[in-house]
Amino acid sequence: MMKISVVRKTLSLGIATLSLLSATSSFATTPTIRLFPTTVVEDLRQTGNVARDMETGLQEVIGRLDQQQELYNESKCDGAENDSGCQRLARQIGATYLEMLTIMEERLPDMEHTVNNTKLSLEKGLRNELGKKMTPWKLQETLVGGKASEALPQNTPTLRGRSGMRLSERFKQYYQLVATSGAKGDQSLAVLASDIYLDMDETSLLIQRTRQEIARATLMEQLNQSFGIITPEMIEVVGGVKSILFGDEDAQTLVAGPPPGSVEQAYRSPLEQ
Amino acid sequence: MNLKAIRRPLLTLAALSSMTLFLVACASTAPVCGSPQSRNLNTAIDGVQTSLINGCHAHFDRYYDELLDIAEGDPKPENKREFSEFLVWSSDQGLLSTRQAEDYYNRFFNVKFMSMRGDYNNCSHTCPNKQKVLFDMERELSDKERGLLKVSRDADGYYRADQLYQEVELVLEATCNACAAGR
Repeated sequence: MMKISVVRKTLSLGIATLSLLSATSSFATTPTIRLFPTTVVEDLRQTGNVARDMETGLQEVIGRLDQQQELYNESKCDGAENDSGCQRLARQIGATYLEMLTIMEERLPDMEHTVNNTKLSLEKGLRNELGKKMTPWKLQETLVGGKASEALPQNTPTLRGRSGMRLSERFKQYYQLVATSGAKGDQSLAVLASDIYLDMDETSLLIQRTRQEIARATLMEQLNQSFGIITPEMIEVVGGVKSILFGDEDAQTLVAGPPPGSVEQAYRSPLEQ
Repeated sequence: MNLKAIRRPLLTLAALSSMTLFLVACASTAPVCGSPQSRNLNTAIDGVQTSLINGCHAHFDRYYDELLDIAEGDPKPENKREFSEFLVWSSDQGLLSTRQAEDYYNRFFNVKFMSMRGDYNNCSHTCPNKQKVLFDMERELSDKERGLLKVSRDADGYYRADQLYQEVELVLEATCNACAAGR
């Protein structure tokens, strides 16, 4: 059966990219390094659209699964698997679960294609702009942004640590990230591009594995349908997908910025580089 | 009295006298390179400067470490300036090259990492040595913790350096993957 992390990663990838579409206007104000050319933006747009379609489709199915699960529990079917009514409910849940797998199976090839395109575009940008045109010192200066002694703004959002966050909150963070990226300049773009690239790289592999797993999971569930069984793995997968769509209450977001400091730093040594 | 019998003690006496004279001579020219006695940074720096110009320059590393220890006892932002001036003086005296002075200062008191210095592009130079670069940066971050946080009370500076280290780690991972994919 599919691993939750695989499902989670697959779903979250497009959501990440979707929010980056509006970044283009901000990126346009910092033309020094070209990590987000038009092609990347277009690839991100497409990936975002595919992800949104998948999310919309899954959200409806998940809602239905929730209702069916609730009915199953209310009917006290746990431990009464031989009851014909409970078996019928279990088959309905299984059928909805199959529907969820089918939606994923349909959407994943498109997503795989757009993710790979995005990955390749970013790869080229990173290789040329940061890999070949920069020395390590220049890269460091780009990341520091020429303001090494200044503290970072508080509550700076980052892309890392998305898992477990409510979708609405995630979008809000992305919006903040994008809204302030113009002011933060190249250092943010380098980190952002790296983060997205590594995410896409990992996601591309996960999609491949997910597609293989879906075929197996579908077959297993078709067999289970004959007996009206709800497997623990099925509940686990559904739970994983739900946590992506509706958020995970227990999850903690990572701290984005440093704790506030109190010391003014006015001195600059003639030795400082 | 046998002549041989007299010669032997005389020779022994002469040898012992020579050795004593030699040792006395050494003791009078070798500098005393003791540790600074004062816990006041300014006074300690004065003492160290005297020792350094009196021939203890081989002990520079130890002195620098001891001065940092003393400064940790009274951390304040002004300590940065004290160390900077001490290093500029050391450079002017010819005890350190300009580059060495910069290294000593920036390694402890600057957000940027000296471990990230290099004249070649990242694909060809940094990526093949990525693990070593990151390891060196990690060690340098410990020195920055000492210099920025414990000596200068520059919490913002230290946390920025810490974040920079993490950003470099992330960006290098992505960039080096991209470089490898392009080969």
